[in-house]
Amino acid sequence: MKNLEIPKIYSIKKTPKKTLENWFRLMTIGRAIDNKAPNYLKQAIGWSYHAPYAGHDGIQLAVGQHFEKNKDHIYLYYREMLTAIAAGMTSEEIILNGISKATDPSSGGRHMSNHFAKPEWNIHSVSSSTGNHTLHAVGTARAIKYYGEKAVAISGQGESSVSEGYVYEAITGADKEQLPVIFVVQDNGYGISVPKKDQTANRKVANNFSGFKNLRIIHCNGKDVFDSMNAMAEAKRFAIEESKPVFLQANCVRMGAHSNSDDHLLYRSSAERNYVIEYDPHAKFRRLLLRYNRFTEEELLEIEAAVKAEIKVSHKAAMNAPDPSPDSIYDFVIPEPFVSEKYPQGLHSEVGEKKKLITALNETLKAEFRHNPDTFIWGQDMANKDKGGIFNVSKGMQQEFGEKRVFNAPIAEDFIMGTANGMSRYNKKIRVVVEGAEFADYFWPAMEQYVDTSHDYWRSNGKFSPNITIRLASGGYIGGGMYHSQNIEGALVSIPGVRIVYPSFADDAAGLLRTAMRSEGLTMFMEPKALYLDPKAATVVPDDFEVPFGKARIRKEGDMLTIITYGNTTHLCLDAANKLQEEGINAEVIDLRSLIPLDEEAIINSVKKTNKVLLVHEDKVHGGFGGELSAIINEKAFEYLDAPIRRVGSPFTPVGFNRILEQAILPNADIIYKAAKDLISY
Amino acid sequence: MKKTAIIYSYNSQKSKKVAEKIIAAFGESNIEAINAEKLTKEVFENFSNFILSSPTWFDGELPNYWDEFVPDLEEMDLKGKTFTVFGLGNQKDYPENFCDAIGILVELLEECGAKVVGRTSLEGYNYESSRAEQDGLFVGLPLDQENQARLTNGRIESWVTQLIKEMD
Repeated sequence: MKNLEIPKIYSIKKTPKKTLENWFRLMTIGRAIDNKAPNYLKQAIGWSYHAPYAGHDGIQLAVGQHFEKNKDHIYLYYREMLTAIAAGMTSEEIILNGISKATDPSSGGRHMSNHFAKPEWNIHSVSSSTGNHTLHAVGTARAIKYYGEKAVAISGQGESSVSEGYVYEAITGADKEQLPVIFVVQDNGYGISVPKKDQTANRKVANNFSGFKNLRIIHCNGKDVFDSMNAMAEAKRFAIEESKPVFLQANCVRMGAHSNSDDHLLYRSSAERNYVIEYDPHAKFRRLLLRYNRFTEEELLEIEAAVKAEIKVSHKAAMNAPDPSPDSIYDFVIPEPFVSEKYPQGLHSEVGEKKKLITALNETLKAEFRHNPDTFIWGQDMANKDKGGIFNVSKGMQQEFGEKRVFNAPIAEDFIMGTANGMSRYNKKIRVVVEGAEFADYFWPAMEQYVDTSHDYWRSNGKFSPNITIRLASGGYIGGGMYHSQNIEGALVSIPGVRIVYPSFADDAAGLLRTAMRSEGLTMFMEPKALYLDPKAATVVPDDFEVPFGKARIRKEGDMLTIITYGNTTHLCLDAANKLQEEGINAEVIDLRSLIPLDEEAIINSVKKTNKVLLVHEDKVHGGFGGELSAIINEKAFEYLDAPIRRVGSPFTPVGFNRILEQAILPNADIIYKAAKDLISY
Repeated sequence: MKKTAIIYSYNSQKSKKVAEKIIAAFGESNIEAINAEKLTKEVFENFSNFILSSPTWFDGELPNYWDEFVPDLEEMDLKGKTFTVFGLGNQKDYPENFCDAIGILVELLEECGAKVVGRTSLEGYNYESSRAEQDGLFVGLPLDQENQARLTNGRIESWVTQLIKEMD
């Protein structure tokens, strides 16, 4: 994009005195706390992580001053104390965050200090993972554009964050979608101790993006208040009026170390340290106010004294604020789900025509899109004429709901996941469904966003819940080899903050999907792709069916053995149980449907009845969910066991492509039958 | 030749050394040294010829003493006055912004109506881009004490000879 002029709206001579006074006051508050923060650590009060912002003063003031609360959306990185103050957060709120008090508006002491947020104003809670929120800002900008609001999303970050692949995904995605988002990249020359020559070939990282078609690049002196204010004013005007992204690179200096755990004397010469201090932006602004006779020394001293007094009061109030209670740790792990009044157990007795699992999913998605106009779905292969999803689960949706609600995503799984997070931040009505990857096997690039999204509700102290359903075509039995057959739930179940469901029949798939799409929170919805079209997974599906989370379904009652399973292996277990029945062995088959939350009651009740347990899943036995189930049963129902718990699953290998290899690896009905027989005869 | 002011930061040891060489080449009686750190707009009113020292800071910025003078400079009428700018830069470590500050300052001076002289050849330098480069010449004299210190004296001598011809 060609260089455009930056209008000079602000200057030392023309900016009204009242405005200058406010800026100086905000900057003085910021610096006073920035300088004071290490003392809290020295006195063992808290603030054990503090990344000083000194040297970024101009740009942070400018960004904060341009943020309109409850209208714009902003994501601050851990070095943005002044942005938070300039956006309206009080000195007391900053200190509450610093010393991790229960009343800290950012997280109630749950998240690391120096991560400033106020979600009720759209100052969003962010990760410590550098640049992670760049994707969130892009997702939020997508919502801003969709709902036609004249606002921007702003992502603040250091120049080293641009080395992260997901930051590139965010910027190229915003460029493609032409979204009103400003990436404010504060360049202080270092990623902790790594100089930027080790991060980027162009010293100015913005120039790495010079070929992007819709992205406007603006450079400014982030140490200078006026240059930063003018650049930010233009960035915001452009982003809103043109509905295009802006990469605003602000050259800053890091006057101190990276944080209080970093010793920059180890890698910076005294000459360099003095050089950056010489360009102290705060001192420069103060000099300008005096040089151009906008303030007298006495006036500035008066402001400084008032700030000192204010901080004293804030410090006292924050010190007296309550600490978080240890009892609160289970609060806000995941929001309360949608409650089904008609199907409280997730069971029905409807008769009629059976529907395949894929049809049940397709019809439920459509029904929910009709029910809630604020639903969106995207993913790779989501919509192109008659193609609707990699397996055509979403067929016909774009035709019915339009390309703004149903659309293709680039081949970038982290982008799919991260923008889902960002879009759902826009308001609580929004429900996002994503096909997280073409196959579950390809979800790994999105794990960075998945893990971070799992933290959001807890980390924000219940102030933000990512309302997202991730659909993943999962499992094998299709001759797909190790990139089209694997189960990944074993790796996911150790992460709190996500519901994980894995239905095996059409009605449960429909009911769980409806519940997921009506609930707040993050749900991982695993689809056994081998069963999409399989007649044995077809069932009658009530139009309004709902299956609550954490309600297992007894697929076959029995009293001699409990077989606990989910997904593809439910059908194999039923086949084995039917064969056992012919021999007079009455096995109970429990289809968990939900892994998290887990229906422990159904499991324990069955164990009490049968006294023997066989755990079956398609995923690897080693590290698989069966290990956790086994431990739970041992802890809670050991006295009822008459035999050791037995597990059946895949061996500790990838899934092979040749059918011979696949069959040797994935569990089958015969293996389950033999394991059951062994257990019965124990 | 009219009285000439040479303006540089007395705090900057490297610029000071170079400035002293220029003063010596010019002849001390023809030139008056002024501390850029304490610059007032009156200085610009009192002289007709100026030699400004503007090293490039960071990735292509004016040093703070010039940057803080810009609000005054922008409002000046410099018609009839002659300026030239030299500056220290580092073409090896900062090849994308080599001596940008010379270009930035010259642009500001020209916007105020000043006559700018002392353009020099690009020959002998190795960098990627520079705001000091215009129409195949540098708009002043770039000096690289980090990588080409041994060329500095020669560059100053020929530049001063040129300035004596070009300045009124």
